[in-house]
Amino acid sequence: ATKTALDDQTDNVQIIKTACRACISNCGVLATVKNGRVVHLEGNPEDPMSKGHMCAKGLSGIQALYNPNRNKYPLVRVGQRGENKWKRISWDTAIDTIAHKLMAARQDFGAESVFCSTGGGGNPEFWSISRFCNIFGTPNWFEPGCAQCYLPRMCVYDMMYGGTNASIADSNAQEIYFPKTTKMKSLVLWGADPSYSSPASGGSALVDLRAQGIKTVVIDPRMTPDAAKADVWLPIRPGSDVALELAWIRYIIENNLYDHDFVLRWTNLPYLVNTETNLLWRAETSTAPDQPDTFMVWDEKTNSAQPLPYPYNDDLDVALEGTYVINGVTYKTGFQCLKETVADYTLEKAAKICWLPKDKIEAAIRTFTDNMPGGLCLGVATDQSPNSAQAAMAAGIIDLLMGDVERPGALLQRFGTAGATNMIGYCVPPAPAKLPDAQLKKRLGTIEHKGLHMWLAGHAPSILHAIETGDPYPLRVWLERSGNKLVNLADSKRWAKATEKVDFIVHMYMYPTSFSAYADMLLPTEEWLETDMIVESCNKLMARQSVTHVWETIDETVIWSKLAKRCAQLGHEGCQKAFDPVYMGDDLPYWDNMSELLNANLKDTPFTWEQLKKEAPIEYMSEADYRSYYVYQQPDPKTGLPKGFPTPSKKCELYLERMITLGRTGQPYSHCALPPASKDYSPLPYYEEPYESPLLGNDLAEEYPLVMTNGRVPYYHHGTLRNTAWTRELYPAPEVWIHPQAAQKYGVADNDWVWVESLRGKVRGIAHLTTGINPGSVYMERFWNPETLNTKTHGWQEMNVNVLARSQGPYNDVFGTYTLRAYLVKVYKAKEGAPEGIWLEPKEFKAFLPKSAEATPDITKGAQL
Amino acid sequence: MKKLAFVVEADRCIGCKGCQIACKLENHLGLGTNRTLIKEIGPTGEYPNIQMYFLPAMCQQCKNPTCVAVCPTGACHVNPEDGVILIDQEKCIGCKSCVRACPYEAISFNEERHVSDKCDLCAQSRQQGNAPACVKNCSGGALHVGDLNDPESDVSKLLADAGEANVYNLRDFGNGPAVKYILKNDDWLDILPQECVSVRRGKQK
Repeated sequence: ATKTALDDQTDNVQIIKTACRACISNCGVLATVKNGRVVHLEGNPEDPMSKGHMCAKGLSGIQALYNPNRNKYPLVRVGQRGENKWKRISWDTAIDTIAHKLMAARQDFGAESVFCSTGGGGNPEFWSISRFCNIFGTPNWFEPGCAQCYLPRMCVYDMMYGGTNASIADSNAQEIYFPKTTKMKSLVLWGADPSYSSPASGGSALVDLRAQGIKTVVIDPRMTPDAAKADVWLPIRPGSDVALELAWIRYIIENNLYDHDFVLRWTNLPYLVNTETNLLWRAETSTAPDQPDTFMVWDEKTNSAQPLPYPYNDDLDVALEGTYVINGVTYKTGFQCLKETVADYTLEKAAKICWLPKDKIEAAIRTFTDNMPGGLCLGVATDQSPNSAQAAMAAGIIDLLMGDVERPGALLQRFGTAGATNMIGYCVPPAPAKLPDAQLKKRLGTIEHKGLHMWLAGHAPSILHAIETGDPYPLRVWLERSGNKLVNLADSKRWAKATEKVDFIVHMYMYPTSFSAYADMLLPTEEWLETDMIVESCNKLMARQSVTHVWETIDETVIWSKLAKRCAQLGHEGCQKAFDPVYMGDDLPYWDNMSELLNANLKDTPFTWEQLKKEAPIEYMSEADYRSYYVYQQPDPKTGLPKGFPTPSKKCELYLERMITLGRTGQPYSHCALPPASKDYSPLPYYEEPYESPLLGNDLAEEYPLVMTNGRVPYYHHGTLRNTAWTRELYPAPEVWIHPQAAQKYGVADNDWVWVESLRGKVRGIAHLTTGINPGSVYMERFWNPETLNTKTHGWQEMNVNVLARSQGPYNDVFGTYTLRAYLVKVYKAKEGAPEGIWLEPKEFKAFLPKSAEATPDITKGAQL
Repeated sequence: MKKLAFVVEADRCIGCKGCQIACKLENHLGLGTNRTLIKEIGPTGEYPNIQMYFLPAMCQQCKNPTCVAVCPTGACHVNPEDGVILIDQEKCIGCKSCVRACPYEAISFNEERHVSDKCDLCAQSRQQGNAPACVKNCSGGALHVGDLNDPESDVSKLLADAGEANVYNLRDFGNGPAVKYILKNDDWLDILPQECVSVRRGKQK
């Protein structure tokens, strides 16, 4: 028998508890390290979310860490851009060169001419980027996600009820991790696929919930595993979600299925809305921070408008519905406004718009409303087209009408926290107030799309426009950290071309991507097995800790710190002050290493980072305390009244008046007043047909008849892992899912190489004929080919669905969301077959297999190279 | 006599294929070699009323194993201690008789070492008291291994709880596949793993 690692007494073998970062789920991991080399990975059963499971992405960690094509040293370009000719330089030279470029751009064109970007998967710390921008004085950073992923949901739920949204993939909705004791009876997965997006945590939890008999409804154009296992699957037309949501709301109201008492007492729907201003009628504006404004309601006992003091007045007979003319002004209750907004959206109408059978829609709604409590998990799908804000608003309304908040079994909760991270998996304080007001006002595209201020981010299409045209000002230096900008941003060709207009481009990542070919300097960042981070998993604190280190990689969190330090030395006042603990306060002074940062984050817990590394996972709170239900009903010690929700009215604000304020002023997310957007944001959701619509009357649909949708496969996170051998062996090229009827019509057979073409270009994929897709749509995953990085395609032009996606308007008004899904394409057989030079057969991926690499000291931990 | 084999709760398999990578990592499998594959059974039916489930397909630990019967060197053999079918790669001459004989195409061929390779329920890991890697990491908790001949084993209890009507095995060609599949929420289809495409590599032009 072969000798195993554990047999050999002379070897130094350790099993280290860490946490994965192959995606954003942070699953607990047991890493076996033998003589400094990671030799084995498996799930850690102590993680309350992943419970010992680990998925294909995480288990590929060793192949990613020791990938022969890692970025190993800082490199500077020596040939022409695109030639991929590089020279090794020291970190000091790299940081010094970049800092000089930054300072020169700041002097010549203003700090706003520097812009940064992140995203695209693979162990990012994106608040580091935001923080650096705020301190350096540029308002412009962006990521391919943000307005296209998560921000719309996060922001809208924050505004509506002040708690987390129900995104399972983003580690919210934590009620699902207690399947044995939850009171949950139903779950709606709307454009969400935990089995594919977060198999080991959310996907796994759903398996347990279904086994306990919880009913599920899945709304998704493609038959994901969760759809296959659902009680009702609605294969919706991509981009039409809001029409369906409005029909749900109408049906719930029409059939009196909502929680009447909760809506009356704990939402703002009974409050009177002035129909001329669309603002709520206030009896009194409160100046006390603990006391909300007092709003007017219609009292049916006295047939008059009366003030309703918080929290409620049982002496009044408060009307939920109605239109009232008072002193010549027409008022409606919020509920009345909502009812009128959805009035047209009958099941018949939704069936027609959404390409769904009417009876299935009704069955889906009933499955949810007949099985309360429950919750609606809105996935990323609706964030990827311009109805993003409305989709989140409507989803919130559905859940809150049902009273699905903070009760046992609901997804929307304010559970406990150790307070050691600002978002799950992120520790860096972004220091928004350090950006001068004058600079904030220059943030590209965000006067019109003010929701972006919640994430302190610029509007990607406006940034692209500014790079291309210099309007409203030029962008000269680009610091980029992502999994492949050209794969994760819509309209890749425009972005690739735009790089020609930028003087200096830095790409920092764990390995070269297509974008590297367009850069002037490459910086090597750490893989997750090399990094440190605090991870909160339900009521436990875990530690992602470096289990080894290779080459000259540095945690990107520290790279930004080094850049700030060098800029400070070159005379940047903001950067100088960023090292002053008094000036920085809770925003923390910059750090030289991760221990400093992580210890500062742990200051309100009984643990130090060293302790956490040794003892984690640590239960920081009992499960019972962690699952804090009905927070809004707890008495506020100052007022003796219920705490309510953290919104201005302390109620759930289904009539989202704050959207109007946001659009006019930037409040509550901007730290100074901003000029108004060109038109008010709507306080209630509305449906807008996609610009590239397949419905009758759209000429474009004659040439491009099919609607594109995207969605995750469980082997990749955004742009990652196309360079590891086992994941590529599993999924070497993107499948193009097409219904057999459509395939026949367009002359496509199963396993054919096909062209998929939109107004913006064409790419290839492999046809997968399946009845598991809406017949009017096609599905394709993002893809790039590291094997053709050094060819003229740079690996992004062959099979990258985002060559096809739409970066032009219309945009979502609140967030500026563009169109990553629900645009029109045509599909036809590619007579040429597969793209040249790509790898498909297992043996071809040999060049991606790990090479031996010595463990090296991490220079941020005080070791010298 | 002991008979160790998988009991698969197919209702719990979410098709994430984490088990495939866990297996390759644990057993240091090369490119092109797989001991377990997740197969999509379906979708079948008329859109949109269709069903699909996932079938983890690995060595079926047959009671009358054809691979053992055809092996000219005795490399394919049944371990008398636990009933697990093993391939002694020291004795394997790479004739591929077993690969051809297996009715489920569950035997992979290691091109580099020119030997047959298949699931042995992580024999080495089991010796150290650990569950097979796929079982440990399975996100759905769908995979179980135990002694089918012991009515008190967890897997036997699982099968008893599931009820005979919900327990299936792959088509029996007289070889007596031992692996049991529990499927309650979908209709079992008599489809062999090799009849499903698991990875699309596109047609040659």
